[in-house]
Amino acid sequence: MKPFLGPLEDGRIPALQQTRVSAFLISAHGALTRQLGVALPVSLHHGWQVEMHSQYCREMEILSLLGRATSWVLDPALGFLLWQWEMAWLPHPISGVADRMQGVLIDLAAFGHALHAVIRPAALLPEGYPDDDPFALALRRVEFESGRLMQAQILFLKGPQLLPVRDAVASAVEWRHSQIRELWQNMLHTMEIDISGRHSLVPAYKPPAPPVAAIAAQPSVAIREP
Amino acid sequence: MPWLECDSRRIHYELAGPPSGPAYVLVNGLTQYVRLWHPFRDALVAKGFQVASFDMLGQGQSDKPSLFIHQDDQVAVLGRLIDKLGDRPIFVAGISFGGVVALRYAIDHGDRIAGLVPMSSFAEIPAQLFMFGSALRTALVLGGTAFLQDLLFPMNFSGEWLHSMQHLIDLARHRGWLANDVYALQNLMESFLEFEPLTEQLPAIRVPTMILTGEYDFLTPRPLQESLRANIPDSALVIIPRAYHAFTLEKPVLTAYLATRFAEDVMAGRWRGNGTIWVAPENVGGELVPFPEGFDHMRAIPVRTQAPELAPQQKATAS
Repeated sequence: MKPFLGPLEDGRIPALQQTRVSAFLISAHGALTRQLGVALPVSLHHGWQVEMHSQYCREMEILSLLGRATSWVLDPALGFLLWQWEMAWLPHPISGVADRMQGVLIDLAAFGHALHAVIRPAALLPEGYPDDDPFALALRRVEFESGRLMQAQILFLKGPQLLPVRDAVASAVEWRHSQIRELWQNMLHTMEIDISGRHSLVPAYKPPAPPVAAIAAQPSVAIREP
Repeated sequence: MPWLECDSRRIHYELAGPPSGPAYVLVNGLTQYVRLWHPFRDALVAKGFQVASFDMLGQGQSDKPSLFIHQDDQVAVLGRLIDKLGDRPIFVAGISFGGVVALRYAIDHGDRIAGLVPMSSFAEIPAQLFMFGSALRTALVLGGTAFLQDLLFPMNFSGEWLHSMQHLIDLARHRGWLANDVYALQNLMESFLEFEPLTEQLPAIRVPTMILTGEYDFLTPRPLQESLRANIPDSALVIIPRAYHAFTLEKPVLTAYLATRFAEDVMAGRWRGNGTIWVAPENVGGELVPFPEGFDHMRAIPVRTQAPELAPQQKATAS
């Protein structure tokens, strides 16, 4: 197992790895886009619907970008994987919330939060990977945008309107986190990648050698009377 | 890899050094993870301490609650780790926001520990720190972990250190970015922006306490440490020359030397806090110097402290 994508082929992420990672992301972000599209009314009447529209458009951008920046190859494993993923993205009933519509919105927000929070595609790039590679730029873009997109879900899920059902909200979000994390890690394991390995990298900090000459030249720290 | 279970959460921790004798427990700052303690930890281990460090909830390899993190949970985790170390002299050192967790533990469970070392820490969030925290949170939200780190590096370290480590800064930034998740950091920051001041509870801390502060720390400046000194009965304030906020990283060996001396003094019964103020040496082996009497330790320039106003009767007696 290794912590990053690779080994590189001609200095690039292998096309099969690009295909599988992008297929996962397109499946998940595509599902979120569809659910947002269904929830979005033709005419906007509330402030939060503006944010939802913005989310919808940025998710579309992610799909378009990944579709164009990936070097696609035929991947026979995707047939089963895609079926498994698409089943997982289906709306999930929330226990502990009496209002069914509210439950649907909580699940949608929990799905979005988990997708944007847990999946860190740019963290798969090997250290020092070229900055001008379209696939790498796309992954960085997806991860960067995810941090911003998540804010709408955080505002909603932590908002005062859900205070009475906070435990149910926390459980729903934890469940979606766990679900998406497991699917993402399983997909990466098929390529011999284990992201937990990134934590055991040697720390970059080392105490610098004491600048002996500089210390000798420094004045005493004791304050003297002026 | 060792794990603690705490309320069904998994906590990653590390132990180093001899399994008996005195121990230090280290509590992380905001964007820290256990491996960043290694230089500091190794210096303590070399002095015979066992050292325990851990990733808090939301940090490094520990579980990252998706939406809500409470300070109480962090204090509970610290308590579990201390319990695991058994019955022996245990010292707790926490930096910055880790110092707050350490303070809270000492307020409620002071009898479990032999000494406390809050470093670059605070017991309240005045307007300046609140605005720093809010701005850093906005930076995280809008620019991600990388932007937050871009701001934290020059806030935490001296220019000299940053210059000397220039070749490693990009790597350090990348490792920090890998180890930290935006949502988890955001939850951690929000849990601290909402916290209630501890100042009134500080007198409940009865254990020997050495408060460490950097001479140039502007993120948690001296008034915040002064509040700790003034309210913790058996405390002393030690100012580390030329240090900024993250001196456990910039000056790990010197900081470990101070922590070792403190623990040795406490265990030998020599420690007398008495609210005294000291200037740390610049190098390992040097002596701590009492802050010059008659001068105001809250000022950045040598200004004499004002004599307390005498009542008319006292004036007459004095004359």
